[in-house]
Amino acid sequence: MLLSLKAELLKKQEEVLEKKQLPQNKLENFKPHLPQKTEKNDKPEKKSFRDNLKEVDTDELEACRKSKTALEKKAQLYEHLADSAGTSELEGRFLIDFNLKKKQEPSKSPSPEPEDVSFTVDEALEVNGDWMEFTDCLGRTRKCLKTDLELYKKRDQELMKSMKKYEEIYENDSEDKKPKIDIEKPELVQKTNDYLQSLREKWEQKEQELLAKDKDIHYQDLLFDEARLHGVSYYSFSTDETERRKQMAELIKTREETLKAQHEAEERRKKRDELIEARVAAARARRRVRAGLPPEDPNEKQKDYTACLLEFLTQQKNEADSKAKELERKEREEKEKERQKQREAFVREWDIGKEKLLEDEKKFRLMTQEEYVEQERSRRIEEFAPLKSTRNKDRKSDRNFDSKGNALESNKDESSTTKTWADVRPEADSKTQYNIEEDNPNKGLYFSSNTKLIRDNVYKNFVRPQDPVLIVNELDVGNMDMSDKAVKRKAETSSAEIPPPPTFDYYGPVSKQSRSHMPFHSNLQEAFEQGVQALETKEGKHKLSNQYDFTF
Amino acid sequence: MSTSEVSFSRKIISEDLSNVEFDTSEDVEVIPTFDSMGLREDLLRGIYTYGFEKPSAIQQRSIKPIVKGRDVIAQAQSGTGKTATFSIAILQSLDATLRETQVLVLSPTRELATQIQKVILALGDFMNVQCHACIGGTNLGEDIRKLDYGQHVVSGTPGRVFDMIRRRVLRTRSIKMLVLDEADEMLNKGFKEQIYDVYRYLPPATQVVLISATLPHEILEMTSKFMTDPIRILVKRDELTLEGIKQFFVAVEREEWKFDTLCDLYDTLTITQAVIFCNTKRKVDWLTQKMQESNFTVSSMHGDMPQKERDNIMKEFRSGQSRVLITTDMWARGIDVQQVSLVINYDLPNNRELYIHRIGRSGRFGRKGVAINFVKSDDIRILRDIEQYYSTQIDEMPMNVADLI
Repeated sequence: MLLSLKAELLKKQEEVLEKKQLPQNKLENFKPHLPQKTEKNDKPEKKSFRDNLKEVDTDELEACRKSKTALEKKAQLYEHLADSAGTSELEGRFLIDFNLKKKQEPSKSPSPEPEDVSFTVDEALEVNGDWMEFTDCLGRTRKCLKTDLELYKKRDQELMKSMKKYEEIYENDSEDKKPKIDIEKPELVQKTNDYLQSLREKWEQKEQELLAKDKDIHYQDLLFDEARLHGVSYYSFSTDETERRKQMAELIKTREETLKAQHEAEERRKKRDELIEARVAAARARRRVRAGLPPEDPNEKQKDYTACLLEFLTQQKNEADSKAKELERKEREEKEKERQKQREAFVREWDIGKEKLLEDEKKFRLMTQEEYVEQERSRRIEEFAPLKSTRNKDRKSDRNFDSKGNALESNKDESSTTKTWADVRPEADSKTQYNIEEDNPNKGLYFSSNTKLIRDNVYKNFVRPQDPVLIVNELDVGNMDMSDKAVKRKAETSSAEIPPPPTFDYYGPVSKQSRSHMPFHSNLQEAFEQGVQALETKEGKHKLSNQYDFTF
Repeated sequence: MSTSEVSFSRKIISEDLSNVEFDTSEDVEVIPTFDSMGLREDLLRGIYTYGFEKPSAIQQRSIKPIVKGRDVIAQAQSGTGKTATFSIAILQSLDATLRETQVLVLSPTRELATQIQKVILALGDFMNVQCHACIGGTNLGEDIRKLDYGQHVVSGTPGRVFDMIRRRVLRTRSIKMLVLDEADEMLNKGFKEQIYDVYRYLPPATQVVLISATLPHEILEMTSKFMTDPIRILVKRDELTLEGIKQFFVAVEREEWKFDTLCDLYDTLTITQAVIFCNTKRKVDWLTQKMQESNFTVSSMHGDMPQKERDNIMKEFRSGQSRVLITTDMWARGIDVQQVSLVINYDLPNNRELYIHRIGRSGRFGRKGVAINFVKSDDIRILRDIEQYYSTQIDEMPMNVADLI
């Protein structure tokens, strides 16, 4: 009604402009939204419009003028009423309660969509009769045909709504500040009709999010707008973990409530049925009494002979059936058991020889930093190693380079303390040591392949023939008791080492001690002899180095 | 019974199985509802939520034995819920509190592995289960991180999975089940070695499940090498084609005419969604270009594309943004897009199994589907062979083909 009225008005205006083209007709001051509100006050006005429609063109201008003046009057009246609501003497003459209206307005005005505010039709900028300028919710000034104004208004509202939605979504996300910038992005992409591109971008972003941090991944995270029909009970969970958990809890709660309600309803129905049954029974009993019959015994049910027989027979049959079934079941079970045994005994072709591979797998564990350092050191080319002397001095304290390898440590200690020096000699050693290793696989370091494991153990657990360490121990040779301590030290040198800080070389306590025991020339001759002897043996056995025995 | 005895006797003498006929095992129980399968409640909820109401034939038969821990060879027509079958069984036998890989699912294509991951996550949505798609073409570091995070199920392609096992990122010690989806493809020449490599790292006597729509005899013959007395649920080949998928052919005299026929059919293609199969990647590219030059909207996909692009095209097709997909046999197996109702074999497939898989991209889970084969005069012989082999009917395409979609 309102719209049609307004449309008529606009149409008339256009017609007038077209027909007469009179610029002095100051129709541009016309305010189209005013008459809607006062419509009920103004029955004659309406009539005049309807009459105008039927009249000939020449009368139109006259009518229009009339209507305009009337409208202006009406506007004045309206303003007056609105301003001085409650005080005007005209109050009560109209159907609209301006007093009430005025009270409602301030509370209402913030709540209606703000696009009404933002969407301002700027009629002052009207270029010619057909075109209008307006400002949309994004603050852009746009031009359109008057007739399309409504359409644009609607679009503007939609745009506003969608923007709000995006804002809400991104506020919920609140994961990072970035999305704030992206708010308008999807809008723009859609405007350029590149929907697909926007989808791709969205998926990309989603994927990045998934990769960005370690978190549980759920079905919703991977859906990517898939067009798939789900069951009726499908619920699209949030991709936000906390929100999801909340929803899940809510779902469980409602489910429990449903179950409870169902249970209660069932209870109630049962109770009601019982009640009804009792009442029916009572009624029947009464009827029997009235008819003079003896009261009904609910327990005694009279059966005739044939029924009894039938029951007996079926019972017998059922029993036999169940017995047979039981037997069959047992038989099958036994068979199944046998087959299970067979299955367990069966070795698949592809499983043969697997144990070794898996054993390696089992042995594998992550190395500690120390172990890794040791491993790398063992791979080091000797020429690039720090000076041997410096390494040796560090060998004072017992270092365990295997976090789990206490056994290894004790083993080594044992070999170094209880065994005599001769026992530690490599030619005897290499095998026994390795055997010990084999017995206790835990002790060694854990590497990816067996060969490496062996090589490393060799290095770690007995003195290598070429081990140059003992050159330094030459100094200790002078020591009066060259038994235990020296042996121990030698044994220790067999393990890889961490070089001490350089200052330690020069100022450490060891150097001092060794210097004091320096001159023992008397034994040197003997040592040389032994060295020569050792060289010979080395040529024979290809094992001992001359440095090795040089110490004696 | 005879078949199971065969597998035992193999232990003693390697017998020639080429004359043995494999049948569905005798004592297969049929359980008519999900409720009576004894599944955990949170899994049941996931099943109903995903849209399953009543178990399909394969689901009625296979879920129970897999859950019981038996080795299972399961065959069923395309689109009847095979993936869901083993997914449900996997989820039922998982220990959700143990944050280690317990089940390994291997499939021939990355897209399929990703899809399986999705299905497992969907069905296990209420169980808080973690499933990772361990596939090639993705960032290795991310893969390692995801695996380190702890995954109950790993669904992947053999190459990347083996790589991860060798790097010891994927620990096999808690794995109790190996599933080979599209098992016949996985045990074919191209993949068998890789499967063997992976299998060698699994604990001995790991439960193995084989699933496929097609299980040729030679595949069934070799199963005893890595399975123990498996339960077989098989489908006779004359029952392998679905009633719901109507099959037609269009006879063309020359190869060039196929293109014109396709253009004529374009309106029909876009009624819902369609997949067009070519035999080579080059032909896919060529056809795509030619269609686009003629102003038809099509997308295409094959194994030579970068993974990123493949992913995007998959997503677009799944979301319904693109409606016509030109592709190779990489798309033939397992991929499930509900709206696909038309498959066109621009070239006839190279073997009988692929035919079943290709036309099975349409008519998903009880929906209607149409398959149209473009045949040159000398191809008709091949088509007749397929027709006979599966005891099905492939008629000449009627004019009202659009009504059937």
